[in-house]
Amino acid sequence: MLALLSDEQQMLKEVAVQIAGSAGPANPSDLHTRDRAAAWQSLAQSGLLALRTRDDEGRPVGSGVEVAVVAEALGAGLVPVPYLGSAILATELLALAGAHDEAEALAQGVSRTGVLLDRDLSALARVPGDGPTYGWDVDGAAAALALTDSPDGPQVVRVSLETGFVPVAGADLTRTLVRSDGPIGAAHLTPVGRPLSPEDLQRWEALTLTAISADAVGVMRAAVARAVAYAKERVQYGVLIGSFQAVQHMCAEAYVSAESAASATNYAAWAVDELDPTEALMAARTAKAQCAAVARDVTETVMQVFGGIGQTYEHIAHVHTRRALTDRQVFGDEGTQLLRIADVRLTGE
Amino acid sequence: MDYRDTPEEAEFRAVLRQWLSATIPAGWDKIDDEEEAVELRKEWHRTLYRAGYVGMSWPVEYGGRGLSPVYDAILNEESGNMNAPSLPSVGYIGRAIFTYASEEQKRRFLPPLLSGEVSWCQGFSEPEAGSDLASLRTTARLEGDHYVVNGQKMWTSGGQYADWCLLLARTDPDVPKHKGISAFLVALNEPGVTVRPIVIASGEAETAEVFWDDVRIPEEQRLGAPGEGWRIAMTTVAYERGPADIGFIAAYRRTLRKVERLATERGLLEQPETRKALARAYVRGEVLRLNCMEQLSLRVSGRAPGSEGSVAKLLWAEAEQSLQHLAMDILGADELTGVADGWLSSYFTSRPVSVYGGSAQIQKNIIARMLDMPR
Ligand SMILES: Cc1cc2nc3c(=O)[nH]c(=O)nc-3n(C[C@H](O)[C@H](O)[C@H](O)COP(=O)(O)OP(=O)(O)OC[C@H]3O[C@@H](n4cnc5c(N)ncnc54)[C@H](O)[C@@H]3O)c2cc1C
Repeated sequence: MLALLSDEQQMLKEVAVQIAGSAGPANPSDLHTRDRAAAWQSLAQSGLLALRTRDDEGRPVGSGVEVAVVAEALGAGLVPVPYLGSAILATELLALAGAHDEAEALAQGVSRTGVLLDRDLSALARVPGDGPTYGWDVDGAAAALALTDSPDGPQVVRVSLETGFVPVAGADLTRTLVRSDGPIGAAHLTPVGRPLSPEDLQRWEALTLTAISADAVGVMRAAVARAVAYAKERVQYGVLIGSFQAVQHMCAEAYVSAESAASATNYAAWAVDELDPTEALMAARTAKAQCAAVARDVTETVMQVFGGIGQTYEHIAHVHTRRALTDRQVFGDEGTQLLRIADVRLTGE
Repeated sequence: MDYRDTPEEAEFRAVLRQWLSATIPAGWDKIDDEEEAVELRKEWHRTLYRAGYVGMSWPVEYGGRGLSPVYDAILNEESGNMNAPSLPSVGYIGRAIFTYASEEQKRRFLPPLLSGEVSWCQGFSEPEAGSDLASLRTTARLEGDHYVVNGQKMWTSGGQYADWCLLLARTDPDVPKHKGISAFLVALNEPGVTVRPIVIASGEAETAEVFWDDVRIPEEQRLGAPGEGWRIAMTTVAYERGPADIGFIAAYRRTLRKVERLATERGLLEQPETRKALARAYVRGEVLRLNCMEQLSLRVSGRAPGSEGSVAKLLWAEAEQSLQHLAMDILGADELTGVADGWLSSYFTSRPVSVYGGSAQIQKNIIARMLDMPR
């Protein structure tokens, strides 16, 4: 047992942190000016979009740990690119369905695809079905993936975002959300690859929950670091506010919460490709439950440490909160995860 | 990164499991009598030791097996899984001796500590020196080749059952308070030592106060250099904070299983609120376990425990205390009317987890220090 990043993983982390540093906003207004296309290009060139494509032996190029490392870095940088949606969630679905050419196209950065979620953002949409349906993390994507039932199991389908979907002013300022209110009809679905097995779906869900958790960990850790830095420069009553124990304890609590989420997420990330799908999914639900349990508090505490300025639109703090709230909700909030964990623990389902 | 056992670890785990299932004394967790329970814990310590399961990560020359601390974690985990009696907490006092003792002291004190022949307690806190431990007043005055100790220690857990004590006392009143403290290894049966149990809110004598009246300690039982006591104390508590060292995880899992059974027996498993709360308790336990595994990995890779132990300590207190809240919610009036035996006691036993080993507030101060926040 060794629960530490390997040297190569550490190097990958440095690459991701560097890209995130130049692509992420320092202020909300930067979100309009950052060159998102260039950021996407850097990710593609560094091979970071290809982690879930398959190698010659059919294995993922990058493990869940690598995915989490990159997702955390991009979450920390609040980077406004659809890394989770396109490079992880959609690419993995395509790879599991055996649609390797399409996965490869996403990995090259030439096209992007998002995912379609149900009305409470808690699961991949099942289509055809009534709306509303959301395309999540679809910046620059012409289509999103959903599932449809087939006699051989759930079938991945592509849904064009070009008709029927309108942009939504969602909470998250860094990831794009679109909505379709009407039903999605069978005529709009293009099947991709072969139907998935139940194990495929579990594996996919484990990866998805883990990647989102890692994003949330990044968001939280970076937010706490910002608050701590501010506490070391803001003066009131003639002293640095960081010298007040009340402020120290707020920061310490937020720090502990973020670290607790990180511990659970690291394990889930390792479990994605190393444990059998049920166990991997249990670890992922555990991580997601913990992240969801603490993400709101942590980012709210950070806003509190920033005082009045932290409540303003111009300030970066709420960008963390918005991304954290979204990470908390998508693919199931704490309550959703806990009920599923209880099914396994208490009923053995 | 690999959370899986290496082949050696897996082999060790398999053998351990077999050994545990053959060796765990039947009905051990039904014992009510405190004395009997203490005797059982001591006996379990010796049994574990004879089978080679105590101090596995210690060097061979001091009675250990020179294995990686991962083996201690496996022991912890399996003890929890198999519902074994609590593991002996040789870790933190042993570490202090191990880190600061002379060669001769190590040979004298470590083997019987590991084997369970001699049990230890930690005499740091005093009535007037808790969080501010460095203000302790117990004195040790050097007279010839002996120190003479006078003062009062409080919260010396296990003092009423222990044979020896790792004692902090002031040897130099004229230097700044952190610098005038030394550490001693003292037998509790020396003349002048009086131990009086302290009954905590649970009704159990969990800890003790110890009075020191002209107790003579040979100079060679000083641990470390004169004035090195503060550093020794900090090493001790840093190891104490790491739950992996003290069998906490095993106990937590056992309690969780009991609470799950309670909910089942009371027909509450259909309630979504109860299901969520039980799952939340499971998540808390996992988070703590995984956090400890990371700490352990840092240790394996050669780093001594630092402030990250404070993170684990806070997670531990929160997990333990919310689990007791959950039991209380499930039991309702039965916890208060004496119908549900033992749970109120467990509840009160969970309260000092956020006090001993440095209170929750002190842990947050330590984390703030680590974050380099202004003083
Ligand atoms: C069951 C039990 C077992 C124990 N076992 C041992 C043992 O084996 N050996 C041993 O040496 N000691 C032991 N202790 C003692 C324990 O370490 C102390 O109780 C603890 O350090 C707190 O000290 P105190 O009780 O004097 O409280 P105080 O230090 O007086 O604290 C009172 C309150 O003030 C807060 N406070 C104090 N200082 C600060 C600060 N700087 N910032 C913010 N808040 C602060 C505390 O958090 C607490 O809430 C044990 C205690 C208990 C209850």
